[in-house]
Amino acid sequence: MRRETANVLLILLGGALLKLAYTGDYLRYVKPVHQPWVIGGGTVMLLLGALAIWRDVRSGSSGQEGARHGHSHGHSHGGTSAWLLLVPVFAVLFVAPPALGADSVARSAGGAARVQANAAETAAFSPLPAGRAVPMPLTEFQARAGWDEDGTLEDRTVALTGFIAHRGDESYLARMVIGCCAADGYPVTVRLGGAGAEQASRLSDDEWVTVTGGLVPGSATEATEFVPELAVETVRVIDPPSDPYEY
Amino acid sequence: MSTVPDTVIGEPEPAPPGKRKRVTSIEVLTVLLALAIVGHEVLQQLLDVPALRTGATVFVAICVQALPFLVLGVLLSGVIAAFVPARLLERVLPRKQGAAVGVAGIAGVALPTCECAAVPVARRLMSQGVAPAAALTFLLAAPAVNPIVLVATAVAFPGEPAMVLARFAGSLATAVVMGVLWARFGKLEWIVERARRRLPETPRGDRWQVFTETARGDLVDAGGFLVLGALIAAAMGVLVPAGWFGVLGDQIVLGILVMAVLAVLLALCSEADAFVAASLSGLPLLPKLVFLVVGPAIDVKLFAMQAGTFGKSFALRFAPVSFVVAILCGVVAGVLLLGGLR
Repeated sequence: MRRETANVLLILLGGALLKLAYTGDYLRYVKPVHQPWVIGGGTVMLLLGALAIWRDVRSGSSGQEGARHGHSHGHSHGGTSAWLLLVPVFAVLFVAPPALGADSVARSAGGAARVQANAAETAAFSPLPAGRAVPMPLTEFQARAGWDEDGTLEDRTVALTGFIAHRGDESYLARMVIGCCAADGYPVTVRLGGAGAEQASRLSDDEWVTVTGGLVPGSATEATEFVPELAVETVRVIDPPSDPYEY
Repeated sequence: MSTVPDTVIGEPEPAPPGKRKRVTSIEVLTVLLALAIVGHEVLQQLLDVPALRTGATVFVAICVQALPFLVLGVLLSGVIAAFVPARLLERVLPRKQGAAVGVAGIAGVALPTCECAAVPVARRLMSQGVAPAAALTFLLAAPAVNPIVLVATAVAFPGEPAMVLARFAGSLATAVVMGVLWARFGKLEWIVERARRRLPETPRGDRWQVFTETARGDLVDAGGFLVLGALIAAAMGVLVPAGWFGVLGDQIVLGILVMAVLAVLLALCSEADAFVAASLSGLPLLPKLVFLVVGPAIDVKLFAMQAGTFGKSFALRFAPVSFVVAILCGVVAGVLLLGGLR
């Protein structure tokens, strides 16, 4: 590969990273704390490419790889493998894959329940704030449903936000949890039952909703792989949130 | 996504003068970009299969997560090439190889790099005259035993402080054992010549140029292999059935082996793998520990980068041995520090 081609690839890839950081789409792939890394990495990549081009233009070199200072040895650098840098560029700029969704939930079906590791350790759960329909992350709901011995969810209504995933005849509310990037994501699910389940079953996979309802007591047990059931009262379709994961 | 046709891979270098001018890579790139701009809706439709979509998301996720760390690594590599004279490294590192391996292991503790960053740094250390055994120890230690990784492990395993200690011991042991093995049995000619060529001493005025050119060259070199590893890991993430995790509760030996293989195939970043391991309920601690020790030592992404940076004949020897040594060190550390097979 010629030196200029590699430079253009670096600028494109750096630009693609910066675009993700700027539009907020990076949240589909990594945790929010990665933003400075994405910006920094993209900027440096772009600068390294641009600087090399600027130097070549200034020195009037025809710019073959390896022709430059310190690197002058017969064969070309980067070789053919550098072409692979084009794959993430295309993926980000032209395909823009969506956040993980119902397909990942289906994929993890049959595996052991991926229980929140520290849920069991968090022995004491603080009481829920007052008010009707307390909003709550799915991970917290699952932890309270499975391990809270003080019954903080008893007779309370919660509001849960996630996407719809169907498994057989059942409808689930799901959310992916990531530790670092989407490669390590795993789902947290809540079975939708009760009066509103019928409405949820008509929605398609990956549709984002906020549901309200109460925990069906004793539904999150080892037999159900600690998947709690919610007696659904209302279902409201919402726009997908900019930050689709829980952490 | 991967619309790069295979035929352009063997793309010809610019024609020597006198011959008829042939197609150059910059023209191929332009055509590919034009095709993608025109046809990106077709591209999106082609990928509109749930499994492919998930795979594409995982692929982009690994790239977005790992590329900034690779950039950090090539910047460090540039700094070493331009500002750290070989004489200094020779003075700082012990002359005896065994002692140098130990120092390299400890240096890994202090430098919070991820595995993608460690590859270019290790290569640069080698070309600055550091003994390969020590550079390779650093390569294995840096991503596995640095403070960020250990804190992440402690957070992921609350109530199991021994896990942090066991991971630290297992990973450091892996790095040092590999360094010692290399010092004893390793042959320099396994490493491709360009990776171990010593750079000429840099005159003061040229340093910035050497810095940026080294960083740029390493980025182009290693970036492609990082992408290749990410492609394989994304495919595996979609293809490996989740049921693999479920059936392993009782069979400890099978559990250890499967978790070691998964660590290689999934290529998770060493900051995140502890959360994944912790979330696998029903699995004893020992296989989880092996997962955490093997992952930063060798995975598909690292293998691709090692093959690209140090050459195939190096990677084909180093990677399998790392795999075995990491499993053994993980098991020993687990049995000693986690209180047996739990």
